[in-house]
Amino acid sequence: MRIGIPRALLYYQYYPMWQTFFEELGAEVVVSPPTTQAMLAEGSARVVADTCLPVKAFLGHVLSLVEQCDRIFIPAIRSVKKNTCNCSKALGLPDMTKAVIPESPPILDIDIDINRGKRVLYQAIYKLGRHFTWNPFRVRRAATAAWQAYLNYRELMSSQGLTPRQTIEKLSDAPETKGEMSSSYPAPTRATIALIGHPYIIYDEYISHRLVRRLETAGIKILTPKMLTIEELESAITRLAGRAYWAYEEEIVGAGGHYLQSGADGVIGIMTFGCGPDSLMMDMVARRAARPQATPFMSLTLEEHTAEAGLVTRLEAFTDMIHRKKRRQGSR
Amino acid sequence: MPHMGNLYIPFKALFQRLNIDFVIPPLNNQRTLSLATKYSPEGLCIPFKLTLGNMIEAAELGADTIIVPGGNAICRLGYYAKIQEQILREMGYNNVAVVQVGISEHKLVGLLKKIKHLSNNASWFRIISAFGFGLSKLNALDRIERVVQKVRARELVKGTANQLYSQAISAIDRADDYHTLKKVQAGYLDQLDQVTKDPLAQPLLVGVIGEFYVVLEPFSNLDVESELGKLGVEVRRTTFTSEWTKFSFFLNPLGINEKDRLHQAALPYLKRDVGGVGWESVGEKVVHAKEYDGLIHLAPFTCMPEIVAQNIMPSMKEGIPVLSITCDEQMAKAGMLTRLEAFVDLIKRKRPVANNNRPVVTI
Repeated sequence: MRIGIPRALLYYQYYPMWQTFFEELGAEVVVSPPTTQAMLAEGSARVVADTCLPVKAFLGHVLSLVEQCDRIFIPAIRSVKKNTCNCSKALGLPDMTKAVIPESPPILDIDIDINRGKRVLYQAIYKLGRHFTWNPFRVRRAATAAWQAYLNYRELMSSQGLTPRQTIEKLSDAPETKGEMSSSYPAPTRATIALIGHPYIIYDEYISHRLVRRLETAGIKILTPKMLTIEELESAITRLAGRAYWAYEEEIVGAGGHYLQSGADGVIGIMTFGCGPDSLMMDMVARRAARPQATPFMSLTLEEHTAEAGLVTRLEAFTDMIHRKKRRQGSR
Repeated sequence: MPHMGNLYIPFKALFQRLNIDFVIPPLNNQRTLSLATKYSPEGLCIPFKLTLGNMIEAAELGADTIIVPGGNAICRLGYYAKIQEQILREMGYNNVAVVQVGISEHKLVGLLKKIKHLSNNASWFRIISAFGFGLSKLNALDRIERVVQKVRARELVKGTANQLYSQAISAIDRADDYHTLKKVQAGYLDQLDQVTKDPLAQPLLVGVIGEFYVVLEPFSNLDVESELGKLGVEVRRTTFTSEWTKFSFFLNPLGINEKDRLHQAALPYLKRDVGGVGWESVGEKVVHAKEYDGLIHLAPFTCMPEIVAQNIMPSMKEGIPVLSITCDEQMAKAGMLTRLEAFVDLIKRKRPVANNNRPVVTI
């Protein structure tokens, strides 16, 4: 059986885990190609205009997988930690996909809700495994291997400062694709900028207008939320927001709080227009950045119509400002 | 306490009876909206903005505690109090506390405890009797509103029902014991009954569904219900504050859940709770497909659960016309009226002729 995994949304968080799970159970995994304009346009055509950009892109990815696989894997993740919750759109994703893409292959969905306890979680995993095997021990083995793969993946990212794409390539021993999003640029590091935002925006080259690459060619070292350890994130979250509420957005607040205080010369917050949780969380970070002595902060809001030139101008202005600030501090 | 429809009336009664010092911010108006949009993050929904506007106006009047509902719901709502408090702090209202009452976790007891705290430890007996009185005001208001919805569509002189309704609201507000309340309620129900109506009227039935704040707060939806009434349409809705209180405070803990029916109905299209009332919106479309002529689906701009519902609705096999209206601070009355008129024309034409017993007049 071939399982399709759209290269969007949670792909960047969990792909190694999902891949290991399905391959352990004897399935073949197909990933959709990187986002293109055509994919985004096709995805947008299916939904109401209010829907956010990442979901539109996600549907484009699903559409590109329609002919390629027998099942599509779309999990509905409600919570990944006690007393947190996830965005409605992420929760309704399997049902929404079914409604707007009726021609899609059957959808494998799994409800992940840590709030309801371990038992329910194990049952959900077993239910997903049942599509492949009757043997609960095999499912269990696959799940353990998958979890190990996930831990490795996170470890690699935070210890070596790699992007998800580099890490995934490293894990699968694939020959590295040259140039793309690798930090092999010889330009000397002139400044360090932290990019905070969802991995599916930062690392999606089309959606983010190659932001990472642009900055790297300008000789800037990039830091992302994924490169922090969980402890660093958590202490920053408690400082800024108190109790964690969201499943993934806390990461943004935590990283924002951390980098605004130390470790970076500038912080860029990227969000998409109409993102529910981000509109709150980015606001929280921006308020923190407005305090005296905080690291310079710029907030970018992306949508389908973002013109590249405008984005480039703002980026240049921001980096110029940082360079000037560094020079001034250096000469003092 | 931010405004939502007539919710301030029962709370006013409650606070008066317990001698809690309170201020009522002005009802939502243009100034509330401008204040709100000025100080809110742009991407947030109209319920956030308007409630923030209420809070600012309450703080101007000297309020020091603001109660907001909240809790671990899946929509952004659970987080609003925190941000709103931060915004108030930055505006310089340093001594305003925004108290969040987690309705979903602590239920009735949580709210009552909060009230006990506010009233300097009034006796439980007094709190419960005051609360009961507030509830009966709420019930009276909603009972009258239901009748108003019917009369609006049939009255000959448009606007009579609305006039009576606003009189009834202030009369109920003034009533200060059960006896007067009962008399007021009966009196207005009687008056509404006497309004001259078109005997031949067979109004179209339109259900209003969607996010509860924009459904219940007429200011945020530009009073869509009375506009529909003017077009000769009878409005029905299932979201009433009194219904909600009845179920979530008294019946849900006993295991009775009116929403199960809606959830069951929605199952083929949406299998899980997506927060807010997205699941119920989908369910209502299924349930009401047979009984109503059309549905108006109200949602605030950028509301996450309702976007899910909006995306799912067109592919459902229940073929009832749905008009989705997105509410935000830039909505204009003329545009909405045009859409409503077009929608009403459409469902009028769609109505089976056999049902139409109106005598055909030939000239």
